[in-house]
Amino acid sequence: MIKVLSTNITSPLGFTSEQNYQAVRSGASALKRYEGLWGVPEPFTASLFSEEQNAELAIGGYTRFESIAIRSVREALSHTQLDIASPRIVLILSTTKGNIEALDNKQYYPSEAAQAIASAIGVTTTPIVVCNACVSGLSAQLLANHLLSAGLYDYAIVVGAEVQSKFIVSGFQSLKAVSDEPCRPFDIERIGLNLGEAAATIIFAKDCSAGVWTLVDGAVRNDAFHNVSPSPQGDGYYNAIEAVMEGYDKTQLATVCVHGTATLYNDQMESKAIQRAGLSDIPLSALKGYYGHTMGAAGVLETILTMCATDDGIVLPSKGFTEPGVSGKVSISNETQQTDKTAFLKLLSGFGGCNVAALYARCAKEESQGTKDTKRWVKTHSVKLSSEDGKSLTDIYKQQIGDYPKFYKMDILTRLAFVAAEKALSNFPLKGEDMRPALILFNHSSSIVADRKFFDTICDTENYFPSPSVFVYTLPNITTGEVAIRHHLCGETSFYILPDKNEALMQQILEASLAGTNTPIAISGWVNAESETDYECELSIFEAKS
Amino acid sequence: MEQLINDLKLQIKDALNLEDLSMEEFDENAPLFGEDGIGLDSIDVLEIIVLLEKNYGIRLANSKEGKAIFQSVKTIAEYVQANRKK
Repeated sequence: MIKVLSTNITSPLGFTSEQNYQAVRSGASALKRYEGLWGVPEPFTASLFSEEQNAELAIGGYTRFESIAIRSVREALSHTQLDIASPRIVLILSTTKGNIEALDNKQYYPSEAAQAIASAIGVTTTPIVVCNACVSGLSAQLLANHLLSAGLYDYAIVVGAEVQSKFIVSGFQSLKAVSDEPCRPFDIERIGLNLGEAAATIIFAKDCSAGVWTLVDGAVRNDAFHNVSPSPQGDGYYNAIEAVMEGYDKTQLATVCVHGTATLYNDQMESKAIQRAGLSDIPLSALKGYYGHTMGAAGVLETILTMCATDDGIVLPSKGFTEPGVSGKVSISNETQQTDKTAFLKLLSGFGGCNVAALYARCAKEESQGTKDTKRWVKTHSVKLSSEDGKSLTDIYKQQIGDYPKFYKMDILTRLAFVAAEKALSNFPLKGEDMRPALILFNHSSSIVADRKFFDTICDTENYFPSPSVFVYTLPNITTGEVAIRHHLCGETSFYILPDKNEALMQQILEASLAGTNTPIAISGWVNAESETDYECELSIFEAKS
Repeated sequence: MEQLINDLKLQIKDALNLEDLSMEEFDENAPLFGEDGIGLDSIDVLEIIVLLEKNYGIRLANSKEGKAIFQSVKTIAEYVQANRKK
C-alpha cells in the first residue's frame, strides 16, 4: 500500500486539483463542439485547452505535451519537501500517444518525452512510461505501488498526460466511437465518447498515515477476448474487481468510479460486471461528462477527483446521464449524493482487452506493511528474433505456425511478439487457465511503425481515409492483447516503454509486479520494431524460485 | 455486376489482409460473419466502410442499415450498384 503525498490536475477547467474539483462541483464541463479543427472533416466534441491556456502553460524548449506534464508535476511538487535529485525517487509517465504530433522527429519517442520531463523537474533516475491504452493511468499507479512496496524507491511521481490532435481524433472517429455531442455515460441515448486533454499527477510514498489517502491494492486482468470489443460479460473487468475486493467489506465504499466512456459496448459491459461483482447498490460515478476521455491522464485525474469528492462527503453526479441504457443493475445518478464513507473503487477498461481495478481508502491510523518479499524470477525459456536473422516473420509463421490467419492483419510489432510467444510457449505448454501467467512487455519505439502507417492515411486532405484497422495497432499494448487472446492469458498484461533495453530495470519491474501474486510463471521481454526491416525481440518464460 | 463483385472481392481481400483466402474460395454468397463464413469482425466492417467511401464515394452514416448491407459480398455489391457516386 502507498499513500498520496500531493496531487495536481491541469485541465481546461483549472490548473490545480482544487480548481478542478470546485469547477466540477459547480457542474462545469470542459466539453465543446469543434468543426474543422486540425483539418478533421467531421465535427467532434472534446475537452481542449484554449489558445490562452496553451500560451500560459507553454514552456520554452518543450512540446505542448511535455509542458502540461511538467506544469502538473511542478505544482504537485510545490506542496512537498522532496529532495527531487534523490536516487530514491522514480517518475512514471502514463500516456497513450504522448508526443504523437512530433511523429517526424526524435521527440516522438515516449521515453524521450519522459526523460525531457524528468530532467525539467530534476528527477535523476530512469523514467518509466506506461502505455496500456485507456487503463494506463491506473496501471501507472499500480506500478508505483509495486516499486515502492518492493523497496526499490521511496517516492513515485505518477503523471498521466494526453494532448489531442488530428491523429487521435481521426482514429477514434474511424472506429465510429466518437460522439459529436457531449457524451452520456450509461444513458439510453449514448452514442460514443469525447476525447480530452489534461495532465494529472499523484506523488506517492510508502505505507499510510492517519487521515491520508492510500492506494490499498490493485489488479490488472485481461479479457483474452478481442482487442477492441470488451468481453460481453466483462470477464477481465470482473476478475480485476474480484482480485482487489477479496476480503474487503464493500459497504465501506463511497462510490465505484467507473470508466463510463459512453460507448455502447463499454458501459454495457461495465454494468454487467458490476452486477456480477455484487456492487449494484454502490453509487457509481462516471466522470467523462466533465472532461471527456483524457486517455493516459484519465486514471490519475478521475482518482484525484474522487478523493476530493469523498473528502467533501459527496459522490459526484454522473454528468450527461439521464435514463439508464444498460442491462446490468447499477446505481447511477446525475445528482449529488451524500456519503460518510472513506473508500472507493476505481475501474478502467481499455483496448488490448486490459482492465484495472484499484481500491483507495483514507487511512484511519498510521500503518506500515514493511517491504514485500520479492521472489527471484529466473528465465527458463528464451526466444530471440531479429531482423538480422535473415528470415522473415511471415516465413517463420508459414513454416512453424500457419493456423492463425489473423497474423496477416497484425502490424510488425505484434507479429514479432506473436511469433516469439508462439515459439516460447511451444517449449512450455501452459497447464490450465488457473495459472494466469502475467505478460509484461517492454520496448523503446512504442508503436512507431503503425503510427507512421496510420499517419499516411490522414495526412493528405484530398485523400483522407483514416484506417480503423491500422489505428488499432497504434496502441503498443495491442501486442499484449493479441498474445493474450491466442494463448488465453487472463492475468496481468502490461506494456512499458524505456529509454533502452535496460535488463536490470526490466527484471526489477517484473519481480516487483509479481510480488504477492500466486502465478508461478510469467512471460516477459523486449519487443521493439523501429521499421518493417529493423526489429528485435527477446521474449522469455520466467519461473518463480523461492 | 459480376465485374463489381470481383472488384469488391479483390479490394476486401487486400484491405483486410485475407492472405489465406483464395479468390476461388471467396464465395460472394457466403456470410461475412461467423465461423461458417468468411469470419470477419467489427474492425473488418469498419475497414470495408472506408473502402466503400474511398473507391465508390459511398458514405455510410447510419449504422442500422449496415446489418443488411454487410451480409455477404453480394449484398455489398447490390448496395454499391445502387448508391455509388464514382
